[in-house]
Parts: sequence; C-alpha cells; structure tokens
Amino acid sequence: MADYFLVVLLDDSRMAKLEGSGLEKDIKYMFGGELRLIEVHVSDEIKNKLLNTFDTARTDSRNAITDVPVAFMRELFNQVVEKKSLGDEVVEAVLAKADEIKELAKKESEFLPVPELA
Amino acid sequence: MSRFSIERPLPHGGRLIERVVRDPERAKKMIKGCPTFDIKPTLHYETGVPVRNVYREIMSICYGFFSPVEGSMSQAEVERILKERRLLNEWIFPFPLVFDISKEDLKKLGVSSGDRLVLNLKEKPFAVLDIEEIWEISDTEELAHRTFGTPEDNPEVVKERFDKKHPGWVIYKSLNPMVLAGKYTIINEPIFRSPFDRFWYPPRKAREEFDKRGWRTVINHQTRNVPHVGHEFLMKNAAYTGDTEPCNGILVNAIIGVKRRGDYPDQAIVEGHEAVETGGYIKSDRHLTSICLWDMRYGNPLESLIHGIIRQNMGCTHHMFGRDHAAVGDYYDKWSTQILWTKGIPSFGFNAPPTDVPYGLQIRPQNMREFSYCPTCKEMAYSETCGHKREKLSGSFLRGMVAEGVQPPVIIMRPEVYKVIVKWWKHFNYPFCNEKYVINKEKELEVDLKDL
Ligand SMILES: [Zn+2]
Repeated sequence: MADYFLVVLLDDSRMAKLEGSGLEKDIKYMFGGELRLIEVHVSDEIKNKLLNTFDTARTDSRNAITDVPVAFMRELFNQVVEKKSLGDEVVEAVLAKADEIKELAKKESEFLPVPELA
Repeated sequence: MSRFSIERPLPHGGRLIERVVRDPERAKKMIKGCPTFDIKPTLHYETGVPVRNVYREIMSICYGFFSPVEGSMSQAEVERILKERRLLNEWIFPFPLVFDISKEDLKKLGVSSGDRLVLNLKEKPFAVLDIEEIWEISDTEELAHRTFGTPEDNPEVVKERFDKKHPGWVIYKSLNPMVLAGKYTIINEPIFRSPFDRFWYPPRKAREEFDKRGWRTVINHQTRNVPHVGHEFLMKNAAYTGDTEPCNGILVNAIIGVKRRGDYPDQAIVEGHEAVETGGYIKSDRHLTSICLWDMRYGNPLESLIHGIIRQNMGCTHHMFGRDHAAVGDYYDKWSTQILWTKGIPSFGFNAPPTDVPYGLQIRPQNMREFSYCPTCKEMAYSETCGHKREKLSGSFLRGMVAEGVQPPVIIMRPEVYKVIVKWWKHFNYPFCNEKYVINKEKELEVDLKDL
C-alpha cells in the first residue's frame, strides 16, 4: 500500500501560527531551503474518499495528493493548527466540511487573485 | 558522414499525407451541390461537457501528422486496430479515428456511401468527407474498453479497469453510434489564432525548418505542461543522445486539444516553452516549440505510439519517453511506454518494440528516468546517477504552489516561465483551465475560417 500525503506550504504568516504547536519538528525545508512545508500523511481509505469528493483531485508520481481546491488547503492548515496534529483526524475534519469547501471552490474556480510579480 | 550518422526518417508509411486544397476555385467546384454538416464537439455522455472535437483529427490527418491515415476509418480498419494496432495497409497505428454522428443526424442528412459531405466549422466550409462506408458502433463502452485494453486482455501493462475517471475512455464511450468512413480533404485552410499561429509547424514545414537550421538529428519532447526545471533538464540531457554528436535540435511538440479542468491553458504551455528559449536556458538555434492538434487519449503506451508517429512525420530522429508517459491515474503500469519501446507488449500486437516490427516506426526512443533537485549535489540530478536522497517534484505539486500564490523557487521554475503563467492568469482571471475556459475554448477553438 502506498503512502499518500498532502503538502502544506508554509509562508511567514503560517510559520507564526505553527509556533508552539509542537509541529515545528515536522517542518521540511526543500530546494536549498527556498521552500518550507509540512506533509500530512493519510490512509488509503481517506485518499480514496478525497479523490471521490473532489473531482479535480489526483495523486502524483510521489503519491502526493494534488489539485484539491485552494479552500481545502486553507482549511487543512487551519485544522493542523487547531488539532496540533498531522494524523488522519485532521483530513477527516476537513472532509466533514466538504460541502462548504465545494461552495468556496466554485467561486475560486472563477477567480483566483493574480499574484504580484517580484 | 560517419557510418554512425543517423539520417532523418521518411514519414510513417513511406510518404507524407497532405490532403489540403489551397485553390479556392477548385475547392468551390469540389463542394458544389454537396450536402453540408456542421461539425459538433463530442459531448461527455453524462455531463455534456465537450471532450473532443473531430476537427482536430481532420487537421492532423490532412496535414500529415498522422500519416499514413487519410480519413475516418472503416469498420474493418477499426477492428484491425483493436486487434493488432495496425491499419489495413499494415502500418502500425494505435487508435480508432472516426467521424461519428447521431442516427437522427444521419437520417436528416440522408447520405450514403459514394456521397461527398461538406464539413463546416464555425459556420464556414472547412473540409470534405468522401463517404466510402457507413457503419454502426454497436457498443461504445465496449469500443472504449477495447481501445485502451483491460487487465484481463493486457495483463502486461493494464493494472486497472478503465472507467469514467479516464478522459480518453470517456471520449470513446461518448461517441455517436453512426460512423461515416472515408477520406478527408481540407478545402479551406483554417487560420490559427494567436499565439498558436507562430507554433504551427505541420510535417512538411517542420522538415523544411529542420533543413533551414541544419538539424539532421532532432529529439522530440512531448508536452502538455508548462515546463519546470525538471523538464528543462530532461530536454537538455536527453538531447545528448544523438549519433556521433548530441542531437542538433530539440523539438518541443505540445499537444493542443480539449482541456481538463486544472490543466494549464494551452496559451501558457506554448509560451512557457518558448520562454525557456527566450530566457536562454536552451539556445534558440537548438530549440523549437511547435503544436499538434489532438484531444489526448491518455493511452500511455498507445499514446506513445501516436506520439512516435506524429514526430517521425515531423522529421524527428529521436523521441523522449518518460515515466507515466501521457498517463492519467494508475490504469497502466508507470513504465508501460518504456516497456513497449524496449521489449514490446505482445497483447497489443507487439512481440518486439514498434521499431523492430515490419511496417513499424523508425524514430528512436530515448527512455529517460527523472531529474530532481539534490540538496547534496546542489543541482538538478539524474535519478540513475545521483546516489543521494533527492527532492522530487511533480507538475501537479507545482500547480498547487501556483494556485496558492507562491512563486516557485528558481531551481523549480524559471522566472520567465512563471511570468508567462501570470500573463495568462491575468487574461483568464485564473492560472489553470476552469470550466469556463474549457467551454469557451471548445467554442472558439484554435482557428478561425474565412469565407471560401
Ligand atoms: Zn546528489
């Protein structure tokens, strides 16, 4: 059975919110330190549930689950902070809000703010 | 020339198919008094979203990308393809290509074999179909399964039974039941919209361009993605394979067709590859970005065959194949394309690689593994060379980063390429294809037509 996971990217404001959560040790630094992230690993069952709930979702060559709504990723981070955990219960809590996320995803599929170029 | 020098191969089938009438007077005569039919997109059998437009097949056939195919296939030809992946003239070909219409439309048209049908695109005459046979697809779902294979019939590479999560399977499942078989001829050349126009190199023009540039050996890079640095390294390094010197040229050939939500817009894909060149990461005298119209079937090993055919027809000597080539989901073995090109897949009719069977291909496979960032080497490293733990990167992981508004580090994506993404993001209010893009794209298509 493959090990599936979601990647939560961390910018400065997210780093601040993680402070004191006990998850600092799980922060990974990639690409010569240019990227900070944490990985939320999920069971096969949760992976399947996720793919069935969000039709854009897919798994990539590293078994990362990708192409879920941005609203999902936002809620995932919120739940990580709230539960101070990276276990299955985090994603389950996000999936419990699937309807709400789908509503948000509908709007975000029309418009995502264009980033400022450095 | 060294005896090790590789020559440019002939088109698949021995000669380039070109079925384009450029003289409007002749075209007008050809269509006089003929019944007409407006080309319609194939709609998803459940959702009604466009999943294919046969106009792209007509373009790729008539400009020779699919040589030696000349039109919509007869029932016997489709049967032969499903059994042995060969045309009736013996040359290998992976997919059924048909002009399908509904029973109601056929009844309304009242055409029969021997008739010439004028095909309109965007309300302008575009092509003709000289009907040789009319046949019925008895069961489109069965056709879809036979097209891609099943775990029972193709145990070497098919791991899961195909279903509606597979966009290629959906195309065949969604076909109309009646097939008008016969040759296509374009009688009114479409004009490509910007930015696609500057990337349009049909096989004859591609071969002429290679001559102009002095490219004897050319390696093709298949793409349906905005390039990240991993792709760039794959291209640069695969190009070292050549004959007595590295390949003279790298042809990027983007498959342009119906999009899936979450893909990058085609405009960003072609201009993103161009940015690799304008940014100087690969010199422009060694790099050419081009397009081919085709609604991807995501048939992994089978798709690699059509890729080989397209690029041999364009004049390439080599073709890069990677992991999960033209794949979606876990239907096929991750390496099934490389299995096909190194050993063959007997259940698909290949007891040997497609280059080693009669009426096969001449283009040489270059089976690459992957490049990813190695924090120890501090560079993009090849999976089979670097002995450290590397940081793997996938296109969809990158998409997630982009969606969250995080600019990827330079070692992941070149800033020039990212700029292209942002340019089209501004244009469409969105960095990827959303439903609006998919539907508009199928309305606007990549081309416009003038009055004849
Ligand atoms: Zn290394």
